Amino acid sequence: MIESAATLAHGPGAVMEPSPYGVQSKKLTMWLFIASDAVTFGAILFGYSYLRAGTPEWPQPFHFSPSILNGMVMTAVLLTSSLTMLGAVAAAKAGRKAQCMQWLGATIFLGAVFAALHLREWFHMFDEGWALARNPTGGPVMFGATFFSITGLHLLHVLSGIIALIVIAIGYKTSWLDEGHVETTGLYWHFVDLVWMFVFPLVYLMNAAR
Amino acid sequence: MDHVESPPMKLYVGIWIGLLCIPGVEVFLTYRGFSTHALLALLLILAFIEAGIALLYFMHLKYDRPILLWSFVLSVLFVLLMMNQLWPDAYRMVSLGLR
Repeated sequence: MIESAATLAHGPGAVMEPSPYGVQSKKLTMWLFIASDAVTFGAILFGYSYLRAGTPEWPQPFHFSPSILNGMVMTAVLLTSSLTMLGAVAAAKAGRKAQCMQWLGATIFLGAVFAALHLREWFHMFDEGWALARNPTGGPVMFGATFFSITGLHLLHVLSGIIALIVIAIGYKTSWLDEGHVETTGLYWHFVDLVWMFVFPLVYLMNAAR
Repeated sequence: MDHVESPPMKLYVGIWIGLLCIPGVEVFLTYRGFSTHALLALLLILAFIEAGIALLYFMHLKYDRPILLWSFVLSVLFVLLMMNQLWPDAYRMVSLGLR
């Protein structure tokens, strides 16, 4: 009877023991997703690295300008979007809703800029004749397959993140969602940034024309 | 739930500037004429440092309970290390002529 009353008063789970992690369940769930996604990216980056090491005459098509320069700008944009996301989380925790919306807007904008720069790089490569299974230099075709797969999966994460941020911004503004949702989405956004910290050196810099 | 104090934005801005420098160093090293293996090792070290800082500060692991760091980060690193043990086996199988 007492347990039923406690459950009714505080919702399901109120009578259970506290989480050993000391975080909200949605944050814990996001960490579980991040761990599994990190392993996914790890697997494809390992696969790419072994293919690259084991394939003679692996192409190195990236010149400093425009590709590496573009990659540096993309990195700076994504890192800056992580900073604006931190601003959004801090504002949400402090209950400053208008400020949080501004930070979220800036994060969405920077994410869109990153995606646009990414697509510009892709179309530049398409123009040069690169494709999933095509190498315009006549060398191994696996470069295109690995490059477009890895960067494509990352781009998909960025686009998903932008959509999630838009939903969170609308939800938070209308009080349908709370600051915990902003923080949890922020974790995802930082993870997308973190993955790029490996993609840029491994996929771009290791294939820079030197 | 734990209610931990968030670090000030000033600290985050300092970390952001530091993180911005790392890709610059990576690009600098790329054009220094290192061998492929040496460059790969250097870039990976820098990437892990960058990711570690992002995990601790941006993703708040420094301020959450240590069990979160140990259970998630270490388990992911363990899986990745195990992957690294298994991938080279593909080369052995190729040399054996197995398909």
